Amino acid sequence: MEEMELQLKLALSSNLDEGFDLNDHNEEQEYDRLMKKKRCFDETFEEIKNVQVPRTLPLLDHIDLCEEEDGVVGWPPINSWRKKICHHYHHNSRRGCTTPTNYVTVKNGCGGGSRSNSMYVKVKMEGVGIARKVDLSRHHSYQTLIDTLMAMFANEKVQGYKLAYQDKEGDWLLAGDMPWG
Amino acid sequence: MAQSFPEDVLEHVFSFLNHDRDRNAVSLVCKSWYDIERLSRRRIFIGNCYAVSPEIVIRRFPDVRAVELKGKPHFADFNLVPEGWGGYVYPWVVSMAGAYPWLEEIKLKRMVVTDENLELISKSFKNFTVLVLLSCEGFTTDGLAYIAANCRNLRELDLGESEVEDLSGHWLSHFPDNCTSLVSLNISCLGSEVSFSALERLVARCPNLKTLRLNRAVPLEKLPNLLCRAPQLVELGTGAYSAEIQSDIFSNLSEAFLGCKQLKGLSGFWDVVPAYLPAMYSVCSQITSLNLSYATAQNPDLVQFVSQCGNLQRLWVLDYIEDVGLEALAAACKDLQELRVFPSDPYDAEGNVTLTEQGLVAVSEGCPKLQSVLYFCRQMSNAALVAIARNRPNMIRFRLCIIEPRAPDYLTLEPLDAGFGAIVENCKELLRLSMSGLLTDRVFEYIGTHAKKLEMLSIAFAGDSDLGLHHVLSGCESLRKLEIRDCPFGDKALLANATKLETMRSLWMSSCSVSFGACKLLGQKMPRLNVEVINERGPPDSGPEDCPVEKLYVYRTIAGPRVDMPGFVWTMDERVSSRFSRATEGHGD
Repeated sequence: MEEMELQLKLALSSNLDEGFDLNDHNEEQEYDRLMKKKRCFDETFEEIKNVQVPRTLPLLDHIDLCEEEDGVVGWPPINSWRKKICHHYHHNSRRGCTTPTNYVTVKNGCGGGSRSNSMYVKVKMEGVGIARKVDLSRHHSYQTLIDTLMAMFANEKVQGYKLAYQDKEGDWLLAGDMPWG
Repeated sequence: MAQSFPEDVLEHVFSFLNHDRDRNAVSLVCKSWYDIERLSRRRIFIGNCYAVSPEIVIRRFPDVRAVELKGKPHFADFNLVPEGWGGYVYPWVVSMAGAYPWLEEIKLKRMVVTDENLELISKSFKNFTVLVLLSCEGFTTDGLAYIAANCRNLRELDLGESEVEDLSGHWLSHFPDNCTSLVSLNISCLGSEVSFSALERLVARCPNLKTLRLNRAVPLEKLPNLLCRAPQLVELGTGAYSAEIQSDIFSNLSEAFLGCKQLKGLSGFWDVVPAYLPAMYSVCSQITSLNLSYATAQNPDLVQFVSQCGNLQRLWVLDYIEDVGLEALAAACKDLQELRVFPSDPYDAEGNVTLTEQGLVAVSEGCPKLQSVLYFCRQMSNAALVAIARNRPNMIRFRLCIIEPRAPDYLTLEPLDAGFGAIVENCKELLRLSMSGLLTDRVFEYIGTHAKKLEMLSIAFAGDSDLGLHHVLSGCESLRKLEIRDCPFGDKALLANATKLETMRSLWMSSCSVSFGACKLLGQKMPRLNVEVINERGPPDSGPEDCPVEKLYVYRTIAGPRVDMPGFVWTMDERVSSRFSRATEGHGD
């Protein structure tokens, strides 16, 4: 059998050194040093956590229901073509409604809940990628609304947040300035 | 030793070997087989364009007719790879233009292609017949005009889901009148309108046209004109599937579809007006592949249409199908092999549709041939996953995306470890797995123990520690591609399994806990790997060595470090200590 002289391999051979662990290599000391020191990422994060920054929590997101800019990049994992369709669709009618709707003015039977008196609105929390829905018809005061929202976003850090909403003219108002009605 | 066969006999025998695996095996037998094989190899597939250089390829395989290349990592589809990262086809086209004058086919995926590249392709290869550009970018419709005008025998032009700068629709008119060779044309990604009369004439003069995927701008009323001129079509992608409700439009459409006796695949369906779906009823029973994933039709119109397609093998659909629609699918489509359900409202935690784990369980029960699943939903349970696993041990691709990161079993609030564990334990032929939901290190133990055929694994927001990653790297013998985001995996598992990385095509880790120091170590010790750190916020050495890198992309290569990296990508290699000023030794290079 002639000696095999391969100048290159497009398929790497499968017999590799067993038990080659860079953790055990000469660099063990350096590795230990790396592992012992506190991560700088954690350090940075600790600083930010403790600062109380009053932030507003947009109640209504008129702009673009498909924006992920505030939230997690690349999640859910859909490509830009699907995102475009999603974007395009939400600017047109849904479920048979012929008026261009955003989520707030949804009436019975269109989008949202199946109960006939429900008033579902979308709630986005700054920095959180996924929005939630809350049925305004089930609340009779700002306090119960805020409590419900805080519970919904319970796994996010909610200290120091304020609730704001956008009225028909597009002005942002702080919840509580106007009576609930 | 016996005399070997004459070379031309061996070459003839080798001509029956089409699969790369077989040809690679044959080339390892002896030097003369290696030479005969390399001279007769006509098709090459390069899964990572940076794993090898054009020069090396051309030197070994001097007479190639078909090249397939992939560029960016898969997570580029979800915007995780920054703009300008790389994947340029330019050096390949330039080299091949000189070396492969008889090149016929170029297929590219996730690569950057320019108009100049397209012009060069159109002028360099006299027998050029197939151009497929999937998820590519960087070119305009001007580049397409070169292809149309100069490739006399073009059979296939497929633009996939590429990002094309649409300057005008005029490029299509560059196909000369004597071009009659088209077999497949996919322009679905283009925005602007092409000249309909040019399209009509092109379709009419190409008797072998089997696949025609139109773009959204082609109006529904004109679709019959094309179908009548191409009744031999096997695959059709409609344009916008909407028009005012008029009986003559409907009857023209129905009649046109009636003539398409060979039609097996349907796609397109933007802006669907449900009233026009029944126009296709005459072909429904022939259809084996149906892509309704851009169709915003809802039930009952949607399920009614899908239920007509009793011979369906592949269905892509939005979650408007809901559980009830999937139950109907399970009852009607017993040949179903592949199901993909995409989210209509991906950024809403609750969604509007009743699509749950029940739908997928129903399909797994009712469709014995189901082997490939991509499913977006908002709730999942271990019980459902176990049921799916037990129903479908023949599953080979299973990709589940629960919209909320780290969502637990909604019934028990436990992690979904047991569910995914059941998948890998029962589905022994599983090749591809994507997971989501709340997952601990335990699920990775199951995967490492059972997923012996697994080739591609995607992980997000999962695991507790390095042990998770270690289970995967040490246990999954067939693993080729591993992509990870937002998991607490750090240095230990990576460094302990460094040689494993040489047996894989690539590893992607972003928003994990791999330190810059570990990346340097890996790059220095493993010369056959390119260890690339992607840090957009600044050089990785601007913090301490234990600072985690933003993104890490590791891949095996025989071409050495890249030379086309943008400013935010750093290669970790043996010279890295001199490049970064933190070096304590004074190695000059």
